Amino acid sequence: MTDVERPARVSRAAREGWSGLALAAGISLVCLIVSLAFGPVSLSPAQLWHDLLAGPGSHTATAIIFWQIRAPRVVLAFLVGAALAVAGVILQDLFLNPLTDPYVTGVSSGAALGATIAIVAGLAGGLWLTGLALVGGLGTLLLVWTAARRRGRIDVYVLLLAGVSASYLLSAIITVLMIRANDDLGAILYWLLGSFSGRTWTDVETALFAVPFMIVPLFFTKEMNILLQGEKRALELGVDVERTKRVLVVTAAILTAIAVSVAGIIAFVGLIIPHLVRLMVGPNHRRVLPFSLLMGAALMGIADLVSRTLLAPTEIPVGVVTTFIGAPVFIYLLRRGRRT
Amino acid sequence: MRQAAFAYDAERPVLKDVSFEVQAGDFVGVVGPNGSGKSTLLDLIDGVLAPGSGAVLVNGRPTREYRRRDIAREVALVPQHFALEFDLTVRDVVEMGAYCRGAECSPAAAASAALGKLGIAELAERRFPELSGGEKQMAVLAQALVQNAGVLLLDEPASSLDVSHQLALFELLKQLNADGLTVICVLHDLNLALTYFDRLLVLAEGGVAAWGPAEEALSPEVLEAVYGVRALVHHHAGRTFLTFSPRRSSQPRERGRVHLVCGGGTGSSLMRELTDRGYEVSAGVLNALDSDEVTGRELGLSMAVEAPFSPVGDDAHAENLRLMADADLVVLSDVPLGHGNVRNLEAVRAALARGAQVWVLEGLLDGDHTGAAVSLRDTAARFFADEQAVLAELSRLPRPPAV
Repeated sequence: MTDVERPARVSRAAREGWSGLALAAGISLVCLIVSLAFGPVSLSPAQLWHDLLAGPGSHTATAIIFWQIRAPRVVLAFLVGAALAVAGVILQDLFLNPLTDPYVTGVSSGAALGATIAIVAGLAGGLWLTGLALVGGLGTLLLVWTAARRRGRIDVYVLLLAGVSASYLLSAIITVLMIRANDDLGAILYWLLGSFSGRTWTDVETALFAVPFMIVPLFFTKEMNILLQGEKRALELGVDVERTKRVLVVTAAILTAIAVSVAGIIAFVGLIIPHLVRLMVGPNHRRVLPFSLLMGAALMGIADLVSRTLLAPTEIPVGVVTTFIGAPVFIYLLRRGRRT
Repeated sequence: MRQAAFAYDAERPVLKDVSFEVQAGDFVGVVGPNGSGKSTLLDLIDGVLAPGSGAVLVNGRPTREYRRRDIAREVALVPQHFALEFDLTVRDVVEMGAYCRGAECSPAAAASAALGKLGIAELAERRFPELSGGEKQMAVLAQALVQNAGVLLLDEPASSLDVSHQLALFELLKQLNADGLTVICVLHDLNLALTYFDRLLVLAEGGVAAWGPAEEALSPEVLEAVYGVRALVHHHAGRTFLTFSPRRSSQPRERGRVHLVCGGGTGSSLMRELTDRGYEVSAGVLNALDSDEVTGRELGLSMAVEAPFSPVGDDAHAENLRLMADADLVVLSDVPLGHGNVRNLEAVRAALARGAQVWVLEGLLDGDHTGAAVSLRDTAARFFADEQAVLAELSRLPRPPAV
């Protein structure tokens, strides 16, 4: 690197602070508008604007489509995408492993088990499902965390094995529950595949509980940056590591559980988004967190759009769409990781 | 900083009953064999580990009573290994040191100051993972300095540095110490410890083997007890330094006795080599303060010694004859012969007359200013081209030939 280049890079890094964030917000907004406009019945921008101003009380056909069907699912997709991306950032940091996500650590499966129990027990409505998903997710994370911890350090191999084992075990339990519950089989299966189909404003209200938890990590960006050097070094530099980890773990588990409880299991978003964002803006959390939030929301919005338009009128579960996008990217990142 | 007794107990105790007290402004080195608990000691002082029993006090207050952020304002640590895979700049890394200081300082300004002080301002915008081992070490030191703590702990900071950077680092630490920083540094190199540190703490088997002024703490007795090696203290050009031999001095000499006739440094390497190989070595007659005499004294040899710059007198000659009579083998180095020491040749002839084995280095004849040595050609004395030939012949023999 030459001296001439260096100042240019610095000022670019400084600009990325705000203009980059504005760009990411702009991309998300465009994705939001596109998601709202397209579907089995597409709306023109003018119609979109008109329906938006008309308010939810309007009874024109397009307004009903917009307010009753499209808007709740699109808003929900954006919220879930943001929640999963932020949870992914947190988990990748805590495990100091860029290949960690809510899915690999078993948190999603734990939340899925909790939700399945709620459905089987006839408690599918309201906060029961969310609550049980939360307990399942948090419990699984603590289990895997404890298994992978050796003398204050997280053993990555044990972590991945424990996480995958836990996922299989929980899936097995879910399967048993599904066999026993003939009536609810369809509901469980549909829910497990991950979808935003038929979601209402009630689901959006549940998902809104995730918003404060997306903001919590923004108060821990310094600690999260320091934790990139490992837990011991963070202690030496004065970080209350145990407290920080507890707050962040619980936050990640809550975000994942809320996401899973409203949308089922949607893989790979929490894995890829933080990765791509780090490639774009570097590892500083003051940028990684807000960027991940926005890009997670945008990607999920687009994935949902694809899920309902690609084979319209048939819907592809959104979890299948993200897997189609995510699996190749994951393999690419694995290979890339091995080279460096 | 005050430090009271503590013991650290896990499943196996790493440190048992360690007590010492460091005063503010001290410059302390910590040495000890591998696994003697040096790094554990640093972690205890930094409060990362808590003592199983006893107490570690920083500024008179037990470390376990500090919050992490508060102890980081008192004690900064430079770890031996530092891993950061993520693509942060050096400036980002160094600024992290300001975390414990909260809003009291601007991280950017503190980082610039620390980088400037260490003379590595040009590294600021480099990516940390791309730095060399030595550069990383300096960047982490800068990070620790940003903490602005009164005590700096370092864990083997010299291990990844070449000799010029080692010296630069220790000079820098000296300078920081002169500015009021208390420094406690773990290191392996005993000569660096001896050269730079006022006080040394020697740890062994979880306890304090020695604690005090550097030269007292690293006495040959301590080193033999702690490391199980034979240490020799040398003074050269105003510096004190150590050299080591693998054999313990308490080990019985099994290989026999060799008497050296040498002087002027011609016998030093044979003295050392033969001692290390387990021979009991004597020498004479040497003038006091002759470099061979100094080496012999450091090695603890029996020697016949004459006053400086004086010809060999009767007493020294008699002592020399006695030492030769006890030896299994007499070796003449290529010492220059003059009227001052030609009497040693007389002693050698007496030994030959008794039928003793005498080995001579060829070089002796070249440096003979008396013309007397050439007559050895007509005796039973064996001639060797150099020291290596002597040592080779000796190692071929199971024992030196008996008298």
